[in-house]
Amino acid sequence: MSDLVTLPRFGVTAALVADTFQEAMARWLFWALFGLSTLLILFFLFILKIDVVDGAISLLGLQSTSHSFSDLQRIVHLAYSRVALFLYVWGTFLAVFASAGLMPSVLEPGRVGLLLSKPITRPVLLMGRFLGNLLIVSANVCYLILSIWIIIGIKTGMWDPAFLLSIPFTVFVFAVLLCVVVFIGVVFESAPVAVMVAAALMLVSGILAQKGNVVKLLSSEWSRDLWTWLYWASPKVWDLGRAMMNLISDRSAEWWAPAWTSAAFGIVVLAAAIQIFRKRDY
Amino acid sequence: MDAHYAIETEGLEKIYRSRFRGRQIRAVSDLTLRVPEGVKFGLLGANGAGKTTFVKMLLSAVHPTAGRAALFGRNAGEPESRRPVGYLPENHRFPTYFTGAGMLNFYGALSGMAAVERGKRIPELLAVVGLSDWGDVRIKKYSKGMLQRLGLAQALLHRPRLLVLDEPTDGVDPLGRRQIRDTLNSLLDTGVTIFINSHLLSEVEVFCDRVAIIHKGRLALEGRIRDLVAGRGYKLVAVQATDEVRRAVSVVTASATLESDRLETQMSDRGELNRVIDILRQSGALIESVTATVSTLEDVFIRTTQGETAIAPPQATEVMA
Repeated sequence: MSDLVTLPRFGVTAALVADTFQEAMARWLFWALFGLSTLLILFFLFILKIDVVDGAISLLGLQSTSHSFSDLQRIVHLAYSRVALFLYVWGTFLAVFASAGLMPSVLEPGRVGLLLSKPITRPVLLMGRFLGNLLIVSANVCYLILSIWIIIGIKTGMWDPAFLLSIPFTVFVFAVLLCVVVFIGVVFESAPVAVMVAAALMLVSGILAQKGNVVKLLSSEWSRDLWTWLYWASPKVWDLGRAMMNLISDRSAEWWAPAWTSAAFGIVVLAAAIQIFRKRDY
Repeated sequence: MDAHYAIETEGLEKIYRSRFRGRQIRAVSDLTLRVPEGVKFGLLGANGAGKTTFVKMLLSAVHPTAGRAALFGRNAGEPESRRPVGYLPENHRFPTYFTGAGMLNFYGALSGMAAVERGKRIPELLAVVGLSDWGDVRIKKYSKGMLQRLGLAQALLHRPRLLVLDEPTDGVDPLGRRQIRDTLNSLLDTGVTIFINSHLLSEVEVFCDRVAIIHKGRLALEGRIRDLVAGRGYKLVAVQATDEVRRAVSVVTASATLESDRLETQMSDRGELNRVIDILRQSGALIESVTATVSTLEDVFIRTTQGETAIAPPQATEVMA
């Protein structure tokens, strides 16, 4: 009996996800996203083909007897972590840019009214859209990072699975920023505003992350408290990127606190978006 | 709320408040309406009268400020209440990345139809609305009339018990309008309740059994069309009449005007007509013409929205003299 209740709901969510996919495919921005990822993959392929890089790799191979194995591993981890950071920033920003229009488009007059006339709740409608968006970007991130991992692995013969940590980190940070994109989409029904706010949050996270240094420089207690509060209340794109780099470099990293506070931020923002969407007239 | 009514509202009210200025606009006010199951119901009103807001409240796109609405006895706010409803919105914007069949498949899934059922039903519906050859074509290539017919197919796909059509023939050419009407006519014996929100009075008059007129957000008039347009009567024109004659006629019927010696008067029944003829003959006035009149829905609408009672104004159907 419970299956009978769940199945149609799953069908509705699947239809909403499929619709988001279909719309994404019809928008040139998403093809551009996959196109840019492909270009980047080709660029890596090309870079690893040139003589200088070939020479460096050979050098490391030849001198590996004089280097200790751990030294070599450290160099590889370091290279991987730098590439991962680049992909993290690239992947997240482009994904936000490409996704920003998908929420306002569904809220267009003449479209949302028909969707709301169907026997579905508003949260299901919103979450179907969110999920579809997240799956598309996850597919792109997996495509990009796995491809580059395979290219580097084939070229160097060094397969570092830690590099793949950049997939969950990138998808997670995108999911948090997508909550903001959805919120802005519901409140302002504007894609440009959503991109601006998400980009601003990415930048601000870098500034707030300097709290260790900044708090020492601030004279008043309240300003120190405010800075610390802002730091904990906002998504920690910067800190998570740094934590990812450290983990890939095989160093210890403080990732749990930035992760759960960012997740909490995302959940609160998404819940607010759902609440506003539920109350709004269309 | 009674399950025998497809639509039932009680004291429904909607006040829009502007976000920044705090200005209030009362779109719908204290609207109580009952639409029995199986009827063809027309909702009429001038632009901005509150018709679309009313429909949107029924379908939960707009939240009422006060009052209640139910569909087949179920609170209209519950998603399940909308399962037996097919809806064609006004100024719809179907996603252009769909093909016709793809769009029906998507909205069918949202209506809770199983994939197998959709697979059977979509070709059937495309045939019903005359779009069999267009199912695989992207809808950005459809004309306005085709989009409207596709929208109708979308509304009918899951075999609804209530069909809510918001300006279904708006912007559609006469041929497309005819096809839409034919499709709706094919539903007549199926027991589906059809609720049409329109300002095309002639179409509503031809198609619907019952009608409600909304004026400035309030229910101004509601009833069976045949009762509302039953204001039959007679118009009489006489010459060589005096003001004394006009006063005598006014005792029989309130509608009597005198210009120079020409008297025009409107009677509601045969008895009044004969009494007026007697007065005119006794006074020596000459009867120029007697015309039987009927009321149209348009007449009723105009009188109602102008704040007058819905009594038949004259429209010539027969000339006696």
